[in-house]
Amino acid sequence: MLTVEHVDKSFPVMHGFGAMLRTLTGQHIPRRQVLFDVSLRVGRGELFGLLGPNGAGKSTLLKLLATLTVPDRGRMTIDGIDVAAEPLEAKRRIALCASDERSFYFRLTARQNLEFFGALVGLSGRNLRNRIDECIERVDLTSHLDRRLGGFSSGMRVRLTVARALLGDPSVLFFDEPTRAVDPVHAEDLRRLIRHELVEKGGKTVILATNLLEEAWEVCDRVAVVNHGRIVALGPPRELDAELGKVARYRVTLAEVDDDLVARTRTIPGFRDLRIERSERGVDLHVDLDPREGTLGALMRAVSWDGAALRDFRPIDPEAIDIFKKVMNDGGRG
Amino acid sequence: MAVAVKRAPASPLAKVGAIFRRDSIVALSYPGNFALSWIQIGVEVVIALYLSSVVAPSAKFGASGEVAGYFQYVVINFAFVRFQTAALSSFAEAIRDGQLTGTLEVVLATPTTLPVLVLSSGVWSFTLTAMQTGVYLLVATTMGLDLGHINAITGLVFLMLTVAAVSPLGVLAAALAMVIKKTGPVEWLSYSSASIFGGVYVPVHSMAWVLQVIGWCLPITHSLAGFRAAAAGVPLGAVASDAYWLLGAAIILMPFSLWLFVRAVNKARVDGTLAMY
Repeated sequence: MLTVEHVDKSFPVMHGFGAMLRTLTGQHIPRRQVLFDVSLRVGRGELFGLLGPNGAGKSTLLKLLATLTVPDRGRMTIDGIDVAAEPLEAKRRIALCASDERSFYFRLTARQNLEFFGALVGLSGRNLRNRIDECIERVDLTSHLDRRLGGFSSGMRVRLTVARALLGDPSVLFFDEPTRAVDPVHAEDLRRLIRHELVEKGGKTVILATNLLEEAWEVCDRVAVVNHGRIVALGPPRELDAELGKVARYRVTLAEVDDDLVARTRTIPGFRDLRIERSERGVDLHVDLDPREGTLGALMRAVSWDGAALRDFRPIDPEAIDIFKKVMNDGGRG
Repeated sequence: MAVAVKRAPASPLAKVGAIFRRDSIVALSYPGNFALSWIQIGVEVVIALYLSSVVAPSAKFGASGEVAGYFQYVVINFAFVRFQTAALSSFAEAIRDGQLTGTLEVVLATPTTLPVLVLSSGVWSFTLTAMQTGVYLLVATTMGLDLGHINAITGLVFLMLTVAAVSPLGVLAAALAMVIKKTGPVEWLSYSSASIFGGVYVPVHSMAWVLQVIGWCLPITHSLAGFRAAAAGVPLGAVASDAYWLLGAAIILMPFSLWLFVRAVNKARVDGTLAMY
């Protein structure tokens, strides 16, 4: 169990020598608040998503949990251990898969990097070597193990951050945009690794920060939507659909469309919107429906009621940008 | 098939070993720079030889007041002042590099204590410096350095005390690097203060009394006095005051510097500057 209770976090807007001088002379340094009264609970073995645009506060929340920064107010626990009071004990249970793929020693090979970080989490000897082989295989980098990091692509380095996080077999893992800069095939592999291997088979607790709506919806048990430092929605993805105004969008292509068909379509349960366009395929109906059970069947019946010539029917992926725009416009402005 | 993960609480020694290995691999991955650091030894000995050709032998240069050549005096100082330089650069550079690359955050997310982290980052540098100092002395003996009367016990004791006394300065430099994000001023200040007040070029006791007071306050002054005495075969008891000074400095400065470093890291945690470019 992982808890975050009423956490506020702010950062000073200036650093370094100038800030030190201002502090010594008693001058106030303005601070920018990045998290506002954030509370959440993540169950053991749960895959919890933090979804939000850049700068929403997702990475800050992960760094707070990883003891890399401290809250202005509030309390966080991991398996009952207070993160602020017992940071070393908390760190024995966690691993952070940082979003910064530069966080390696570029003059060292992948193996030497993993040996170094493995030693810091308590692995040694044959156990360390076996663990490195296993983790590197999981991210499909076995053939690159003895190459220097300087020759790795961004995507490969990101995958290596995942291997590094897995080394110590922690019970809680924080992934900060793990598929950023990764090609689609390996991104899919990483999602499968997180969902099936770590959470479902391994029983790990995972917090996944992402700005990809589809990623959060696809793999997470629950998602907290974060914007401007506040959690503006929280729940299982399907429940959030309605809350965030997400729609199931379909494109139906027919040879011809008459007024009756349009009228039938407009009266099906969960109807939201209809747009009609002529194309070289025929007539495209762009239909938005509530994302609940039954609406798709009703649409199919409506458009095929009197034997209309159906040429094509396909679901259209929801636009993440629409969701983000709605979230940014509706909620969380401090 | 999944490998059962046997994860023992990592011993501090294992972590020191890992950090030593990392630093040595990084250093050796720059073969040109590594080779130059050895070539520099020969250059410095030649400079010392040249300086000694224009400075007459004097009793000021003798460890016990005996007349000694300037080469004997300055080459020992050149050889051992490197320990202070190593301390002041290695700790701070390790921390600053970690901030710049983002590795410091990842390391701090592991169950590694701050004293282990910061003190380990000087181990490779001290080891290399010790090896290079040995070669330095060897090269210098071929050019006239007399080590025929060396007192090994005095030398070893001062070696340990020097590392113990200058390491806190390195830790303090690392704490400062956390705040001001640069290490250059610290290195410059340490080198120039050692050169001017620490007696590297001119014996402290021939300087104005104000400068002598400043020099007395610097660990390197007492270290160099001890090493010169060891080279001249002076027993440890004769330089006990310098040894006690270094011991006292280590006892007082080590916990203080670690306390300050922990505070600097905690401040960086609060300010979100563990990774800072």
